[in-house]
Amino acid sequence: MNPILTFVVILIGFYGIATSKNIIKSVFCLTIIESGIILLFLNLGNYEGGAIPILSNGQIDTIVDPLPQALMITTIVIGSTVTALSLMLCIKLFHHYGSIDWAKILGREDLS
Amino acid sequence: MINIPLLLVFIPVVAAIIIYIFKNRWMYFLAFAAQILVTVLAVAYTIHYWGDFESAMLFIGGWSEGDIGISLRNDPLSISFLFLSIFSWWMVLIYKFEPGKTDNTFLFFLMFLQGVFLGLLQTNDLFNLFVFLELTTIIVTILVAYQKVGSSIRAGVYYLLLNTAGVLAFLVGVILLYNVFGTINIEVIRNNMAGMGEYNIIQLAFVLMMAAVTVKAALFPVFTWLPKAHGVAQSAISALLSGMIVKAGIYLFIRLNQMFALAEFGYQDFFFAIGVMTAVTGAVFAMMQTNIKLLLAYSTLSQVGIIIIGLVSMETYHGGLLHVFNHALFKSLLFLGAGIIISVYRTKDITKIRGLWRSMPVVSLLMIAGMLAISGAPFFNGYVSKAFISTSLADSTVRYYTFLLINIGSTAAFIKLAQIFFGPKMLSYPMRHTAKMIPLFFIAAGCFALGNFYVPIFDRFFGVDLSDIRAFSLSAFFDYFVTLAAAFAIVWFWVRKDGRIVRELRKVHISFETANYMFVLYIVALGVVFVVW
Repeated sequence: MNPILTFVVILIGFYGIATSKNIIKSVFCLTIIESGIILLFLNLGNYEGGAIPILSNGQIDTIVDPLPQALMITTIVIGSTVTALSLMLCIKLFHHYGSIDWAKILGREDLS
Repeated sequence: MINIPLLLVFIPVVAAIIIYIFKNRWMYFLAFAAQILVTVLAVAYTIHYWGDFESAMLFIGGWSEGDIGISLRNDPLSISFLFLSIFSWWMVLIYKFEPGKTDNTFLFFLMFLQGVFLGLLQTNDLFNLFVFLELTTIIVTILVAYQKVGSSIRAGVYYLLLNTAGVLAFLVGVILLYNVFGTINIEVIRNNMAGMGEYNIIQLAFVLMMAAVTVKAALFPVFTWLPKAHGVAQSAISALLSGMIVKAGIYLFIRLNQMFALAEFGYQDFFFAIGVMTAVTGAVFAMMQTNIKLLLAYSTLSQVGIIIIGLVSMETYHGGLLHVFNHALFKSLLFLGAGIIISVYRTKDITKIRGLWRSMPVVSLLMIAGMLAISGAPFFNGYVSKAFISTSLADSTVRYYTFLLINIGSTAAFIKLAQIFFGPKMLSYPMRHTAKMIPLFFIAAGCFALGNFYVPIFDRFFGVDLSDIRAFSLSAFFDYFVTLAAAFAIVWFWVRKDGRIVRELRKVHISFETANYMFVLYIVALGVVFVVW
């Protein structure tokens, strides 16, 4: 996969958060940006025909760069935390305001 | 001794976990014990390695070869931020301490945030920096939304999503730098910056990282989360947010510009303009507000603008750094004092709070000390940094007078706030707030000490000679009274009348998608300035 394509994915995500009026959609678009970033970094650390970066007895000429993979696992964990927290806050917002639309919750009074 | 940076991160985190597991009302003393331990270790570390921080580089897990391991490192800049944050957490812990009433969940997040923040200050690894930034964002979101009312949850979501977008831009910058340098060690990248090819990719990384810093530090186009989050959080949390968490962005600004120093991007003029716009926006919105928390939050915005002006307008960053300290002190003082006032008067509306001087003279004195300090009165700490910044701007007439106008504008909000002192004594609600005043005394003493003994303090710790700035001169008093008179004129002839413009400006609200739109536009503008141009 071409690194340029991953930039396209990231830009789609930024387009999404700049235009979507729904909080759930904003959360999804952040996830899209993050997926783009993960794909980008894994791409940059990848070599054609490289083996997996695990110690073995056999002779291996090229291995892929292990650091991007280690870092991206952390990014996935953090991303899932952010998604979970923001979705939980969305539920709370729906209980308080009866809507998850950015424009509507700002105009309304607290229902609870 | 060399492992102390790691302990400073893990002691608060482990204490927080124990506090959360064993929920009982004695756990507050565990927090105090952890805090004492952190303070003692930080002092011991600083005394041991003072003047020789290069030898104190800590590689975790023994991965010292090839710069592949995670490392922690300190220098006078991070040490000064370290002590400032430990002091701030002390103040908040004492302020929230009520015997017999321990909120363990709150304490868990508070102590955890301290560990994460100390890690953010000391790390020497770009990806670690990203992790700590994101963790700070998550925990601050929970603390902002902690009261579980609609407005605080709304502000929490806004804060979380906008800051996450910014931090993800930072991550893309980290990846691009890794692609060029093959490492994410800040020190190594900094030393190899000059002779590196692929200049365009480095420029792009700089643009994306600076965009992230702009979000975290609440600079001009993407400041909108700050008044929302700081306005609805509990007063103690607001004090922490305005005092320290916003400074994480400022700290990153200094660190990243040190890292990119050899690439010579010439960022100073651009960020001077950004700082001026931030300061003007903050000052104008601050004087429109009638909500005391929102007034203080917007005032933080104008002070952050002044800090950025100070950072970029001299060869070293000391002017802005001095203002970071001073702002952390007096803004914490004002927010904590506002917390006491709000809990007694049960309202945040400054047009309804009257007769504070007769009801609560001690709190009034402390608030007046904070207001004098923030408006730059001689003998208080605000004067020192503002005079230091304005002397560095004296070469350019336009910049000098711009700074003067900003100063008048940010003072005007506090002239407006001063109306709460006047009026007859109102019915004061019975409440024990004497214990809550202890941290306020400490912070006010800090303001006063930094305002009078700044020459030896700064000569000792930063090697900066501030003896040119004299608070005892007649011209300092004259300048201050002119500033006060101009600010008073603005409030008396314009803001007090509460005309249509004031009312409309008070209601200005920037929605989430507009804020993100401005963020994207801002990245494009940075790209045009630094890459294309």
